[in-house]
Amino acid sequence: MDVRFYLSLAAVLFVTGVYGILTRRNAIGIMLSVELMANALNLNLVAFGRYGAGALGQVFAMFSIALTVTEVVVGLGIVVLLYRSRHDVMVNLASEMKR
Amino acid sequence: MLATVAVVVIAVVLIATAVAVVVSDNLVHSVFWLAAMLITTALLYVMLEAPFLAAIQVMLYTGGVITMMLFGVMLTQRDPGSRVPSASEAPGWAAPVALGLGATLLVAIWTTPELAALTPTPSGDAQKIGHMFLDRYLIAFEALSVLLLAGMIGAIVLARKGDA
Amino acid sequence: MTWLWFFAKIGVALGIIFSLGPVCIMGDRKISAWIQGRVGPNRVGPWGTFQPIADILKLMMKEVIVPDGVDKVLFLGGPLIVFIAPVFGYCVIPFGNQIGEEKLQVVNLDIGLLFIMSVLSVGVYGITLGGWASNNKFSLMGSLRASAQLISYELTFGLTMLLVVMMSASADPLKSASVDLSKIVLHQAEYGWNIFGGATWWGLPSGLIGFVLLFTCAMAENNRLPFDMAECEAELVGGYHTEYSGMGFAMYMFSEYCSMILSASLIVTLFLGGWSFPYLTDPADHSFLAGVISIGVFFTKICIILFLYIQLRWTLPRFRYDQVMSLGWKTFLPLALVNIGYMAVIGVFLEKP
Repeated sequence: MDVRFYLSLAAVLFVTGVYGILTRRNAIGIMLSVELMANALNLNLVAFGRYGAGALGQVFAMFSIALTVTEVVVGLGIVVLLYRSRHDVMVNLASEMKR
Repeated sequence: MLATVAVVVIAVVLIATAVAVVVSDNLVHSVFWLAAMLITTALLYVMLEAPFLAAIQVMLYTGGVITMMLFGVMLTQRDPGSRVPSASEAPGWAAPVALGLGATLLVAIWTTPELAALTPTPSGDAQKIGHMFLDRYLIAFEALSVLLLAGMIGAIVLARKGDA
Repeated sequence: MTWLWFFAKIGVALGIIFSLGPVCIMGDRKISAWIQGRVGPNRVGPWGTFQPIADILKLMMKEVIVPDGVDKVLFLGGPLIVFIAPVFGYCVIPFGNQIGEEKLQVVNLDIGLLFIMSVLSVGVYGITLGGWASNNKFSLMGSLRASAQLISYELTFGLTMLLVVMMSASADPLKSASVDLSKIVLHQAEYGWNIFGGATWWGLPSGLIGFVLLFTCAMAENNRLPFDMAECEAELVGGYHTEYSGMGFAMYMFSEYCSMILSASLIVTLFLGGWSFPYLTDPADHSFLAGVISIGVFFTKICIILFLYIQLRWTLPRFRYDQVMSLGWKTFLPLALVNIGYMAVIGVFLEKP
């Protein structure tokens, strides 16, 4: 099993996340897809940690996990706010800023 | 041999759950598929000799993030009932864009000769990770804790009732 | 031979859970009757001891009603997850001393403590899932409360575990802290139980506070009264399992006892010296008899903790929901932080080489 297998796996996961972001209209659905992509990234880091980088890969994966957690917290705060003002969380309807 | 089979099985499950996250037409199912995917990833981390990270992953992601996501889904649910439509509408170009990106990535991975040359090295145990956090990457670590605090305060301010 | 040992160990671990589970149900009813001045179950078998079997038989024969408009997969999956999680957690608990070469622990993970934490965090999904899939407002309230409560108390839970890790590092000549549960127990067997501060006298207040915190948090995570906000029959009908009947309900009920047993084992392992007891067990004695004695010691300790749980359930009134939250965030979390700070600062100053 070499590192390219894991990288390909992560790439497939990442692309799935991209597809999700492009198709979802619900803000939380988009956040789920972002999680998917972040997870693919972590998988890359850990795979490189196993193949060459040693503990460094895991250290960075942990940084990345913490960053994702922060993103989710703030993102959900915004989503709840959006729902409170519009009673909907469909992102294509939230376009006041354009006008 | 057994390890290879295990990794392949995990990979297949991982891709299947990831696709389920994206295409499921019920948002709550999506969240639970994501939980399944994160736990499967943790299994893969175990196979990559990073059991410490695997435990952290299950603890933080499935324990914290997914629960928050569930809260998010339940708090922003408009219609009564246990079905939350995820409302996806696929623009025609979504699949080609995603497939193109995937193909580019895969070609890049499989045509880079440096990657093939990498060989397995010891991944480093929890002790080594801890030393790195508090030694070489101390500043990043502290900055991260400040960021977490900022995120927490930001979320509280955003979601607070009243003058928002 | 190794496989034989492996299965034997699984047998003992499962045996502890599945034998103590019905005993707990029985004990719960008998002790509640005793506290309330009633007789309690006394018809089935001698002194009503077969009552749990009769209960389970009754619940098995009942119809499983799946209400209209629920999400079937999630509705039936909830009880399963909540049932499996504590059993999974049990495979890293060291339930006895070594016999020969074999550690009496189903799997000896280096990250045992973290494994338990993650298993506990998965367990709450069962409740959240079931409550949400029931398509019932009371169930949803119950499951939301359960998740919020679990997140709140998991912080203190984790910090207290950190305290244990620090304690097991304090007297070690190599200063190598460990999250390996069997090493934590061995350390306690060697130097003294963590509830009494582990190896040092100045750890005593820290150990006592840590024990109380862990005990209470475990009670909150198991949704036991006085923390059973998720069921709270006075406010929420039956909470997350309002819509469940037959086996679904039975699994929820039984899993509550299973996770109670897991928490009790964890408390015993982390603070009460696991399988060790002064003059009764010897960590260096790896004979078969010593192993059996250590299992017995562990079992007795679990039973004492379980009795405390049940007794507290029928003695204390239920908290109000906001009280639970403010207790968790405003009292327990700062207390646990100060506790860890004390341990770290004193550890650095007194133990300086």
